[in-house]
Parts: sequence; structure tokens; C-alpha cells
Amino acid sequence: MSRRYDAIIIGGGHNGLVAAAYLARAGRKTLVLERRPMIGGAAVTEEVFPGFKFSVFSYVVSLLRPEIIRDLDLPRHGLQILPLESTVTPMENGDYLASWSDPDETRRELCRHSPRDADASVVFGRLMHHMAMAVRPILGMVPPDPASLSPRDLAGLLKLGGHFRSLGPERFHALHKLMTMSSADYLDEWFEFDALKATRSASGIIGTFLGPRSPGSAYVLLHHYMGEIDGAFRAWGFQKGGTGAISDSIASAARAHGAEIRTGAGVERVLVSGGRATGVALSSGEEIAANLVVSGLDPRLTFTRLVDPKELPEPLVEGIRRYKFRGSSGKVNLALSGLPNFTCMPGEGPHLRGAMSISPSIEYLERAYDDAKYGEFSRHPYMDIVIPSMIDPGMAPPGKHVMSIFVQYAPYSLNGGWTDQKREAFGDAVVKTLARYAPNIESLILHRQVLTPDDIERITGLTEGNIFQGELALQQLFFLRPVPEWAKYRTPIRGYWQCGAGTHPGGGIMGASGRLAALEMLRGAA
Amino acid sequence: MSRSGYDAAVIGGGANGLVAAATLGKAGQRTLLLEREAALGGQGRVVEFAPGFHAAPLGLDPGWLPAPIARSLGLGGPDGLERSAADTPLTVAVERGAFLSLSRDPARAAEAIGAYSRADAAKWPAFTALLRRLAGFLEELYQTPAPDISASSLGELMPLLGLGRKFRALGRRDMVEFLRTLPLSVWELADDWFEYAPLKAAIATGGIQDHQQGPRSGGTGFVLLHHLVGASAGALRGRAPWRRGPAAFTEAAERAARSAGVEIRTGAGVARIQVKGDAVVGVVLESGEEIPVRGVLSTGNPVRTLTEWVDPVWLDPEFMHAVGNIRHRGCTAIVLYALESLPEFPGLASKEALAGIVSLTPSLRLLESAADAAKYGEVSERPHVELTAPTLHWPELAPEGRHVLVARAQYAPYRLRGDAAWDATTRDALAARVTVAIDSAAPGFRSRVLQRVALSPLDLEERFGLREGAASQGELGLDQILFMRPVAGWGNHRTPIAGLYLGGVGSHPGPGVLGGAGWLAAKRLLSDRRR
Repeated sequence: MSRRYDAIIIGGGHNGLVAAAYLARAGRKTLVLERRPMIGGAAVTEEVFPGFKFSVFSYVVSLLRPEIIRDLDLPRHGLQILPLESTVTPMENGDYLASWSDPDETRRELCRHSPRDADASVVFGRLMHHMAMAVRPILGMVPPDPASLSPRDLAGLLKLGGHFRSLGPERFHALHKLMTMSSADYLDEWFEFDALKATRSASGIIGTFLGPRSPGSAYVLLHHYMGEIDGAFRAWGFQKGGTGAISDSIASAARAHGAEIRTGAGVERVLVSGGRATGVALSSGEEIAANLVVSGLDPRLTFTRLVDPKELPEPLVEGIRRYKFRGSSGKVNLALSGLPNFTCMPGEGPHLRGAMSISPSIEYLERAYDDAKYGEFSRHPYMDIVIPSMIDPGMAPPGKHVMSIFVQYAPYSLNGGWTDQKREAFGDAVVKTLARYAPNIESLILHRQVLTPDDIERITGLTEGNIFQGELALQQLFFLRPVPEWAKYRTPIRGYWQCGAGTHPGGGIMGASGRLAALEMLRGAA
Repeated sequence: MSRSGYDAAVIGGGANGLVAAATLGKAGQRTLLLEREAALGGQGRVVEFAPGFHAAPLGLDPGWLPAPIARSLGLGGPDGLERSAADTPLTVAVERGAFLSLSRDPARAAEAIGAYSRADAAKWPAFTALLRRLAGFLEELYQTPAPDISASSLGELMPLLGLGRKFRALGRRDMVEFLRTLPLSVWELADDWFEYAPLKAAIATGGIQDHQQGPRSGGTGFVLLHHLVGASAGALRGRAPWRRGPAAFTEAAERAARSAGVEIRTGAGVARIQVKGDAVVGVVLESGEEIPVRGVLSTGNPVRTLTEWVDPVWLDPEFMHAVGNIRHRGCTAIVLYALESLPEFPGLASKEALAGIVSLTPSLRLLESAADAAKYGEVSERPHVELTAPTLHWPELAPEGRHVLVARAQYAPYRLRGDAAWDATTRDALAARVTVAIDSAAPGFRSRVLQRVALSPLDLEERFGLREGAASQGELGLDQILFMRPVAGWGNHRTPIAGLYLGGVGSHPGPGVLGGAGWLAAKRLLSDRRR
């Protein structure tokens, strides 16, 4: 055995890195082990084609917790978010719906389609702001367990009850609706213009195997809305240099506090002795001892691959079996010889520095979901398209561009399984659908990278390719994430902890799971 | 006191109206009950749909009568209510024309399941026991006013604490199962436990009953539990019927109301509720008659009550916005068959199964694809069909030796796409699909049919006063139950108008609880009046 560490973090994704940075900052001798040659997990930048750099998986950011940015002084370590200034939805009739960073301009644009919605939008925005504020403290707390009788849980519950009561009935009820409704029904209560409802509800289906009409999707809407209000920056944005640079900045902060990071070091299993974690064994056979072993991997890997499930209580193993991943999205990265020309907004313009959302109607999204329900990828998928090279020219050679297309739905369990042909067919469906709105796209493509949920799983390790380490469904949130009784970052194995997005609050480049886990570990040790 | 001196008027002579009126009458309130139709019964009303053939199209599942209501009104006495003990509440089609009957005795059901899957059979008793315990907690919730976190007075907080204690009494694992099951899809719930497709489909039928969502949609786990309140242990669907049908309950409740001094007027539809200075002062009948009253308890649909009967000037726009947003979305059509004789299902061991529910849909996937159509305002190409022959336990519904078969078909959305409308053509097209579905499971069925009458959601709206044809009178979404029913913050049966209370199915605790909402609303009116 080599040197002994206070803590080993398995997986160099952003949550693992955040946990490592907090532990190192508290003086713990910390080691991060990453299987791949690069750190970052799903937040990586790779030069996939010579000269063309891509945020291969996760591609935009807004949820990163401000306290993490502050505590770890991330801007000093290279964090630099460039705002994403608009969202444009091309419509099937050749028109478009745009929202710009200037609220007045957005209002005027919406007025063009529906004056009523333009009015409602103001009130709606305010309500969502309050809702996000109401939920924010929950993101920063270890979820209390309502089924527990421990004084700490009861105190947490009382605090939470007090928090909800302090919202007042109106906001509490609105929050309840957001937690339980479908995004389509929720938006139906406010708006009439279909493209608006569809574009907004699109954020309610991201990374989840639900259609916009399925209850539970409204919460994901809020989850994504949260980024838009946090103090540090107000909108979705790009990290300069791609999302990999976010991982690099966290890693740099961790190293500055003394953490070590090893890449190319896949962990085979966690060493357990007498119900206590004592270290890890690498695929190379090397064993490294540590007082704490922290898994940043998803719950299935954490509990069924890194350790022997026989070491675990039956309800936990059963809970992990029931925990839903169901990856539902894919990614298509294009290297382009020039800029796409959208029929609804011809030529170059500010819209190309923002997002283009292929979400013309609720029915469009719902039909995309129907395909996936029965095991096919959507023939006409929802797509969230950005051109990072428009904002950060370093991402592509001069005059050329990179385009990142987030695609839904692409079910992990495809009928007959994913094959090379199916992957290409999926890529073709994406390009063809895009060509309906930007006919020159096909002639611009120099290279194409298509990532199915199967590829996402194979490359990043994310089970079933779920980008949130497990669906953000109500029955998998808060004190139920990943399973009841084990939602506080601990595991039944002493000294073995979890810190990935499969724990509360989970999902997106947020870092909250990593931070809360580290704080719990430090609290336990104090 | 003159005829004009009523303390309270109850609108609607269904289960809720009768229970509310009886409760008010017993408390000494001079109470008038107004029913628009010529007969009492509401959703339990029996109609003659063909010469000599009767049915209660909405009363197949008679609902749960909570013990405190039965006790306080003296219902269920020796001459009153008795449940028929049909053994198989649910039977589901499996492949190749065979059927799987799920006895309410878990051991017998497990034995039947064992023919298809040993693993599933082994889990069945534990599964039904869990459902019973979880539904049991809902029963607690449904016998008290909806707890609201925004409750401010001590009086409102106390019941909350009591429920908290009862919740904890479930024990750690069940508490978590309860919270987890509500938002879950019934598809996932079935998948968590079982492997045999028709068994999973059987479970899912309860989660989509009268609900315009497919089994994959979140919240269908709750719908399943909701319909199991008051069901006997081991049953997967509904409550056993009264021996004399839904009329048995109507008659018992009417007797209770009359003996409590309630005056009952049928054929008396309400046109308006009169309000003066934010308080109720009377009702105006469709005939133009004005009746002064101090309080009105409406068991009519909340939207109808608040937008059609009350002048909206008395209500603030936010409240009206919320009322306007109540989702109903009726999606069930009913086809009534007058039969020469019962159909022969070759795969069905015993005709007794038709006394319960026989589902013709053998897989979750078929249920889900039937639901897809409704999302786009279309009628399912291959609807989910459930059959019951009420004449098996209540032969008086048909002439001697003849039978009535009630088919419930989902999905038939109230709102059809584009120019389509519920007219004779669309209705007959659906009924024809239902007949084909039955005929393929029971060859020769068609030739036994003497008469067929289809009721679209629009018909149910027109004939039974169900808004959008929805028996739930407010979709059973998690955002439309408890303190959110009928609208957020008004789960206490009050309205912004003093003296106007809502006590119909559209209020907490919702459909399937006989008199539940009426009873709670009446108690609310009484306690407000004591202040």
C-alpha cells in the first residue's frame, strides 16, 4: 500500500472536484481518482476534430452554486461565464419567437404574437423568481427525513415547515403546483401562445423521460429556472473554453488547497473491512488507503459496482434497483465550415450568439416523447442548439464554427439496442430536422459527432446515459434521493460516502451535492 | 316560520347533497334540498336506457361510506346497506383469449397468478397488503378537513398534528412508500413489483380510471390509491357494490335526510345564488322562484357554482382565474348493452367475474397507446374497455332472465380536436369499436345485443351535470387534491362568499367517498355558524 490519505474521491466530475476542494480546504489530505485521461466527468472540453473544440456533453451552465464560486474563489482559477443572450424558436410557419436579454425587447416580441401572454409573462416571471427563491434554501440544506425521529431531522423538518409557512399561502400553493403538475398544464394556466409554452416547457423535459403533459415535468422547469435568478449571473451562459474549463477551475482550486488529482486511475472497488471503508483498489491492482472514501459516481455504480451489494442492507439494494435512470437525451456536435442560415431569421445576427430551440409546439414535443416511449428515437426531436464559437472564437478555427445540439428524446433502451447504424440514423434525423429550419446546414457539416445515451454511458460511466445521475422525478428528490434513509450522503458502510448528482439536490453543473457531502463529512469528523 | 325562512339550502340530491342536508337537518338547521332532476341519486342515479332495462351508468363502483358518516346518520342499519360479496373485483384479459381473475382473497389470487409467474404470485400478498395500508392512510386524510400548511389558527393546526401522528404510525417504511407512491406512475409501480404483463396492466387500470393520463404519467400511483379507499383488503379495484345497487344508498340517505326534517324538492334546478354584501341571501330557481336562505351548500360542480350561479362581481379575479383553471377532462365513454343473455367468454372460468370488472386490455403498452390519442383530442383507435354486468347481483335491472352489460371505454376525450364534435356519428363509431372489442373476446356477443346506448362525455355532462363529463369533477392530479381542491387554499369547503359552501365531488376528499365532501362541508357550515 502506498501513502495514506484522509479522503479519496472516486470520480473527477464536477461534484467530486467540489467535494475534494472543500475537504482539502479544511486541511484534509485528499486524492481524486479519475478513470479517464481527463478530469471533468460530463463537464469536459475535447478537441474532437482537429481545431474544433466541444463541450462534449454538458454544454451550458447557470446552476453552479454562488457559494461554491465564492468559497473556492473560482474566477481566480479561470471561471469565466459568457452570457447566452437569447433564445429563438423557429416556428413551422416560417415565423419565430425570440426572447432577448433585454426584457423590454422580449416583451415587444411576445406582444407581436400575443399581447395577453406578454402581460402574463411579467407576472409569471415574478412568480417563478419567488418560487426559485423559495426553493433555493432547500438546495443548500441536507434533506431532513420526515420518517425519522432523530432530533436533527425533526429540527430540520420544523425549520423547513417554518420556511414554507413563511412563504405565505399563495406562494406555498404555487410551489405545490410546480412540484406536482405537468409543465404543459402549468403553462396552460398562464399562456396561450403555443410556441412560447413549448419552448418554456422544453426545459421541463430535459434529461427526464417524461413528456410535457406528464405530471412531474413542471418541477424540472423550476430546476432549470433556478439558474436564472442566482446572484452571480442572471442567465444561462458558456464557460470560456467550454465546460471542461469549469472542471479545470474547480480542480485548480482543489489543488491550490493541497488536493492531489490522478487521471487514468480507474477504481475497481472500494476496500471494506469490518463494515468500514479502508481505501480503494485501482484497476491496475494498486491499493490506496484512506479514512474516507467518497464516490462521485451515480448511485447504481456507488452501491452495486464499487462495493459488494451483499455488504448492504436489503432495502437499500432494493431502493437502488427501483431508482430510475432511463437516459432520454443525446448530443450531436457538429464542426461547421460556416454559419447556418435560419429561414426565420436569415443571415448573421445576434440570434446566433444565443440558443435556437426546436420546440414549435407542445404537440411537437409530446409526439417526440411518444416515439421514445415505444423504444424509438424521436423522428422529429426537441433540440437545444448553441454555437459556442460565436461567443468564444477559440473553440473553432478562424471562420469556422462548432455547433452543439442537445437532443431529446433518444431512449437508452432502444428497440433492438443501439448500433452504429442506429446512431447514424439518429444523427441523420437530427440534421434533417434542423435542415427544415436552416436548409444550408447539411452543406456546412465538416464533421459530426453523435452521442447516444449508450455512448454517454460508455464514455462517462453515467448509468443508462442519464445526465442527472438519475431522473429528477418527485419520487427521487430530496430525502428520497437516491433512496430513503441514505439521502444524507452517508452509506451503511462507515467511512464510505456519496457526493454525486444522484444525491440531493442533483442535476446540472451545480456542485451542490459535492459541497453538501463534504460539509457533512467535515461535520461528522468535527 | 314562513316557507321563505330556511337556514340552509343544499344544491344537488346526490350522495353528497343528501348527506350534507341530513347533517344540517340533524343539527337543527331548517334545510331545503334542491335537485334539478326528477329523481335523487346524482352519480348513482339509475336510468332506463332501453324498455325494461336499467343501469346506473356512473354507479358501478358504489364508493366508500366512511364509518363516521354512516354512524352519525344512522345509515347501514338492519334494513339498509349491505354489500354484495362478489369475490373477484377484477379480471384481466391475458394472451390467447384467456383471463386472469384476481380474487380479493390474496392467497387465491396468488394461486391464479402462479399459473403465469411464480415470482409475481409470491409477491402478490405483500403488494396488496401494502396498497391497503397506504390507502388506509388516505382514508384518515379523507375523513377530516384538508390539512393546510398555511393554517394559522391553533384550531386548524391541531388536526394537522393529529394526522402527523397517524402518518408516523404507518411506520418508517410505509411512510416513505406512501410519499414515494403518490407522484409515481402506476407503470413504474407495477414494474417495481411484477414481471407478468397482463398483471401489470390489471394494476394500472386503477391508476388511469377516469383519468386523462396514460399509465406512464406521474401521479397515476396516487389515482390508484385514491380509488382503493374503503376497498376491502386484497381488492385491486373499487368497492363491492351494494346488494340493491346505488339506489340502496340513495334511499337510505334520503330517509336519513327526511327524518332529520329536511325538505326535499326535486325538479328544482337552481339558476342563481343571490349574494348581497359578500354574503349569501338566497337562491333563485330556474322557474324564477326566489327562496331566501342564510346559507347555501352547493354540491354542484365548483366551476358551475362559482361562475354560473354566482355573479362574478362578488369574486376577485385571481380567485376566478384559479377556478377557471380547474382541470376536468372527462375521458370515459359508457356503452350500455341490453342483452338477451350474458356473453360467453371462452377464456373466462366463471361468469361471476362479470359481477366485478373485466378488463379487456392485456398490457401497459396498449393502455398507454390508448391514452396517446386523448392527448391530441382523438378517440382511441383501440380503447381500453372494462365490462361489468350489474344484473348478476341486481337482477331487477333487466326483465327476467335478461342482462345489462356496462362497458366503460377510455379514452374518449371530452374535447375533440379541430372541428370534431361529440355527435351521433362519433358516439356510434366509438360504440362500434367497443362492440368489436367485446365480440373478439366473446364471439357471438353481437347477436345477444338487443339494444345499445352509448354515452359520450358530452352526454354525461348533459344528463348528469358532470362538467366535461368527468366523474371526478376535477381531475385527480396531485395539484387538485386536499388543500388544493377545488382550488388552492380552499380545501376547507368555504368560498370567498360568506355563507356559500362547496360540498360536491369537486371538493375534498373527491370522488368515490360517499357523502365525504358534503359531510365535511356541512360540518364546516355548522362550526362557522356557531362562531
